[in-house]
Amino acid sequence: MVEKEDLLKDGKRRDGRGLTDLRPLRINAGVLKKANGSALVEWGKNKVLAGVYGPREVFPKHMTDPYRAIIAARYIMAPFSGIEEHGRSGPNRRSTEISKVVKNVFQNAILTDQFPGTMIEIQMEVLQSDGGTRVAAITAAAVALADAGIPMRDIPVGLSAGKVNGEILIDLDKYEDNLGQSDMPTVILPRTGEILLSQLDGMLTREEISKAFDLILEHSKIVSEKQEAALIERYRKVSEEIGEGEANDSG
Amino acid sequence: MIKHMKEIILPGKLVANEPKKIPGCYIEDGKTYASTVCMSGEDYVVPLKGVYIPKTGDLVVGIIKEERFNGYVIELNSPYDGQLSTRDSREELKMGDVIYAKILAVDETKEATIVDPRRLWGGEMMEIEHVKVPRVIGKNSSMLGLIRDATNTTLFVGRNGYVYLKGEDTALAVEAILRICRESHVPGLTERISQMLREQSKVKTPAQAGKNEQEEQVSKEQTVNTRYG
Repeated sequence: MVEKEDLLKDGKRRDGRGLTDLRPLRINAGVLKKANGSALVEWGKNKVLAGVYGPREVFPKHMTDPYRAIIAARYIMAPFSGIEEHGRSGPNRRSTEISKVVKNVFQNAILTDQFPGTMIEIQMEVLQSDGGTRVAAITAAAVALADAGIPMRDIPVGLSAGKVNGEILIDLDKYEDNLGQSDMPTVILPRTGEILLSQLDGMLTREEISKAFDLILEHSKIVSEKQEAALIERYRKVSEEIGEGEANDSG
Repeated sequence: MIKHMKEIILPGKLVANEPKKIPGCYIEDGKTYASTVCMSGEDYVVPLKGVYIPKTGDLVVGIIKEERFNGYVIELNSPYDGQLSTRDSREELKMGDVIYAKILAVDETKEATIVDPRRLWGGEMMEIEHVKVPRVIGKNSSMLGLIRDATNTTLFVGRNGYVYLKGEDTALAVEAILRICRESHVPGLTERISQMLREQSKVKTPAQAGKNEQEEQVSKEQTVNTRYG
């Protein structure tokens, strides 16, 4: 059992990270064949698969908005995703809440007025969870949306900060989230620094919040770079293959 | 040796310091930013991804989705369907039929009115991304001519991204089109495709260009809308 005192020792966290180190992050775009766009994010022990479908006909039809596209987001944690019992993976309080905030995030990022009367579906499956899955899910969904060719103002970046044993940390894992004092998942648009989502669990002072935001803004660049690399990788791979093929021909 | 690749521009990146109406971009605070994955083109950027929205004057390949008492609903590889009135259709169509037709008008709900349908039969259909259609056609339909001559295939390339093929070596034509879509961001595309077609072509006497007048007409009309070579 992990104790509160184990979380921080001599400025090091349980997994050996410093206070402002992110967990290793890997993003792959275009992993699902049948989806319009997809992405797999592996962020520490988190594994989130996101798929985007649409824009397409609205279902149920009465939800149609004649002025803009509506967004249907679905965040689900797989029953086998965590250490704790998750039960059936149907809609529950937690997944309903996260689906709603994800929907609001992307309503402000996608240029929905370009597709009036349609629906864009975002599906996020948490295959393995270790704290901070909602920001991982949003990070994955953002890549999947760009991969689907849905026009966006920018690629949103999700990152969480929090307070553990009196220190402000970035990218909290499950134990830091559960046993720490506070957790603040945040989503920003990297170009303008707009904040699309900021939820707060626990309590932080004004100064601590400001410090947490500074950390998030600073480290979101790392996440953003990975997202961009994942999207470019698909094209780079093709051009590399062509280069190799021609090298073989001449040799 | 890794071949030079065109620069990939991602959503949110600055494209121009002045407001410009470019496909795949949006304007904010008097500046132009990319909204989809694009690549650097001759003037500003060319989108690499995108959703087809019906546009007046487009020649499209569509599938009959539904029959109504006064017309047909046409599936156009788009979130918006097309409407074809029986008055504008000379022959009776059935659900699942493939047509090559023109978009006469698009109304405020983005629904397209379709006219001049021509039923396509005896061939096969494929789906590509509609942003790659200009590349499949090529400058003055050069790419299309290349594929047609090497495979002896009649091609109908709809602006919506549906392609209808009928003829001798359609398998090679499909392969060539898929390759164009995959490699369009790497320079030297025409050479690679023509080399591939030369090597794999099974057609003994290449079909002469202009053999089928009607078909020529089709590709001419298409080039009117070709914005990117």
